[in-house]
Amino acid sequence: MVQCPSCARVQEPSLVCLRCGSPIAADLDLFAALSLPRKLQIDLPRLEQAYHDLGRRIHPDRFATSPLTLRDSSLRATATLTRAYRTLRDPVSRGLYWLELNGHKLAENNQRVPQDLAELVFEVQEQIAGLRVVRERQSAGAQELGAQVAAKRMDLQRALDELFDDLTALFARFDAAEGNHRDSLFAQLKSTLAKIAYMRTLIRDVDRELDSAKAA
Amino acid sequence: MNFRMSRIFGIDLGTTNSLIALMVGGIPHVIADPDSGDALLPSVVALAPDGAIAVGDRAIAIEPHLGDERDGRVGAAGSPGGEAGMVVRSVKRYMGLGGGELAPEDRHRYTFTDLAGPVVRFLVGKRVYTPPQISAEILKALKQRAEAALGSEKVERVVITVPAYFNDGQRQATKDAGRLAGLEVVRLVNEPTAASLAYGLHRMAEGKVAVYDFGGGTFDISILNIRGGVFEVLATNGDTHLGGDDIDRTVVDWMLREEPDSIRTDRLVWNSARWVAEEAKRRLSTFDSVGLRLDLADRHIEKTLSRAQFDQLVAALVDRTLECCRLALADAKLDRREVDAVVLVGGSTRIPLVRRRVGEFFGREPLCSLDPDQVVALGAAVQAGVLMGTQGDVLLLDVVPLSLGIETMGGVMERLIHRNTTIPASTTETFTTAVDNQTHVDIHVLQGERELAKDCRSLARFKLGPLQMQPAGMPRIEVTFLIDANGILNVTARDERTGREHSLDVKPSYGLTDEDIERMLEEAIDLGEQDLEQRLLITARNDADQILTALKKQLKDYAELVEVEERRRIDEYAARLEAARVGQDRELIARMVEELNEITTPFAGRIMDGAIKQALEKKSIEELS
Repeated sequence: MVQCPSCARVQEPSLVCLRCGSPIAADLDLFAALSLPRKLQIDLPRLEQAYHDLGRRIHPDRFATSPLTLRDSSLRATATLTRAYRTLRDPVSRGLYWLELNGHKLAENNQRVPQDLAELVFEVQEQIAGLRVVRERQSAGAQELGAQVAAKRMDLQRALDELFDDLTALFARFDAAEGNHRDSLFAQLKSTLAKIAYMRTLIRDVDRELDSAKAA
Repeated sequence: MNFRMSRIFGIDLGTTNSLIALMVGGIPHVIADPDSGDALLPSVVALAPDGAIAVGDRAIAIEPHLGDERDGRVGAAGSPGGEAGMVVRSVKRYMGLGGGELAPEDRHRYTFTDLAGPVVRFLVGKRVYTPPQISAEILKALKQRAEAALGSEKVERVVITVPAYFNDGQRQATKDAGRLAGLEVVRLVNEPTAASLAYGLHRMAEGKVAVYDFGGGTFDISILNIRGGVFEVLATNGDTHLGGDDIDRTVVDWMLREEPDSIRTDRLVWNSARWVAEEAKRRLSTFDSVGLRLDLADRHIEKTLSRAQFDQLVAALVDRTLECCRLALADAKLDRREVDAVVLVGGSTRIPLVRRRVGEFFGREPLCSLDPDQVVALGAAVQAGVLMGTQGDVLLLDVVPLSLGIETMGGVMERLIHRNTTIPASTTETFTTAVDNQTHVDIHVLQGERELAKDCRSLARFKLGPLQMQPAGMPRIEVTFLIDANGILNVTARDERTGREHSLDVKPSYGLTDEDIERMLEEAIDLGEQDLEQRLLITARNDADQILTALKKQLKDYAELVEVEERRRIDEYAARLEAARVGQDRELIARMVEELNEITTPFAGRIMDGAIKQALEKKSIEELS
């Protein structure tokens, strides 16, 4: 429960007072901040609409000439609103936040190669290492090797896209599941998020290597 | 509210020119000088050794040039052009910077006390001026101009625009300038964002809009998504030392490249050559070729500059602006072909080469239906309208241009708020001690994109404490970094266990301290100062009204939660605040508000507890049924 600092109304957690419209700088979970149900499946246009609607009511632009206390709560409430929007808009940060919200944590230095993708990963790593050597020695064949890496990059992207499909499916299962079945879902969520993080890093490395090769 | 709020004005405090504008009947208007009819006020300030000051054309009139008969010329504000006087142009290039941060070409242009300190100080005879003080003179001149034009209306509250790529210190310095001019700076707005408001308000530009703002001293590119009254900045990039000044300097360098150092570094030669170069630049927007002539003491320099040659000279500068565009597009995750409209802002976009290159880059004809010199001021007025509540449906979502972080072990910069995050933005970090009985924790806040702390800009150092003596790792202090709607950082700290606010000792790395400003304000005997005092009093009274109204309501709604003795005390303190409220002492009012807040805290706590209990009971009933 939160209390409006202006009119003293006590209400369900929200960043805006439902009676007097004052912003409330409450420490809310990010779903509540956007007045959304605690569900992982989010309709993005609706999310944006909620963000804009609430933003119009509590943004510091609305309280620029108000007393200090109101200006301050508008500032802090809007910062919370923005954080909520940015976190929930992106499925990966939404998933990570879901873990945090439920007392789970993704292992920090999870650098293990995802097993089912190991073959692809090793092949790519070998290729970009080769590309680096060719570039450093300025020997021939850079172009050809670059083309091979570029082709493999498409495979990586496809694998990443599939992981995102997995994530979407997991979100749906979470929303449908009852308490007991959730434990196994959390394990799957962690694994999928770790894989996505790994693949993103790999793709970034590949892009860097391709850029340097192009520049050379 | 028991007083009539004055209107909020929009100010473009530019490197070369400054303007003031106002919303009239839903349309922004630039307020021209009632005597001369000029919309632009040259951002030039003349400072005389005796303290006399002139701004704008009057300052330009006494700017020393080669071959002038100095002795006979006396400016309206005395004789600032005399031996020890100084005429300052482009003071914006010095705002919020330490001497060590100045661009090399800016270091020798004027006489400074020293360039080692956290603030640049201009030395005029025995007098010393900081950049915010000089900018304040420009603001005062704009205020006078508007007041003269409008008759009875006072200019008290303003929106001031800043380059989007201004860092925290440069923004703070701009706010300081406002304060020194006796103005309440209600909001700082990014210049390209302001321009987008001027275009977007009447739907001249919608969708994904790129605002290319190439002004006198700075370059900004902002990519926005504009639709349905929402102005969302997706990404911004820029260079706070890239503008028309640099173009002029390039032409001067070209003009003097065969001259000896003694000529090239002479300030009088430079003043005159800059003027000749600027003139040539302007005329080359119309003509294919222009003649340049500079009279030295013993001879003259004569050259011809063709537009093709000029294009070649400035091509590298234009390339730099386009590189910024590329970076901004990448941050916005947009392809340049996805941009629906390109808006040109700033005097330097009058250069045909700039227009052509920008058009080629985005693959579309740029918009410039609003005067590129005025559009930022017009947008500032629109934003002022938004803040006054007269543009109800506009929602402006701007971003912070540079990442903000702290220095961690090994001198590494840890990013806490990434660049292009929508503001206001906040993040919290928990700090603890590294050794037993440590009484203070030092936090070094940085701004920038580099990996190492030493390569980023130091923003401030905070000293957290004194802490209770405890074993290492026991204290847990939660520090909140909040970037407000002006793009300026605020830091607060509280103890995680007790929830008590913690004191923070702030040492800004650059710029003026609050004490500096207080002192400057005391020095400047100015009516504006009294106005400021008056407004602060009004704010304090409003705060008092708010707490008194809320309290009355609570006492009525939750009378059963107050004990008799407690009620007596609350009434007593409330009465004291009521009494202070009608007086003139704003500090007393603030203190009474604090005290009343404190003694009502237990009562407020009980209201909360009761509400939570009620809610839990309600829930359990719902769950049972």
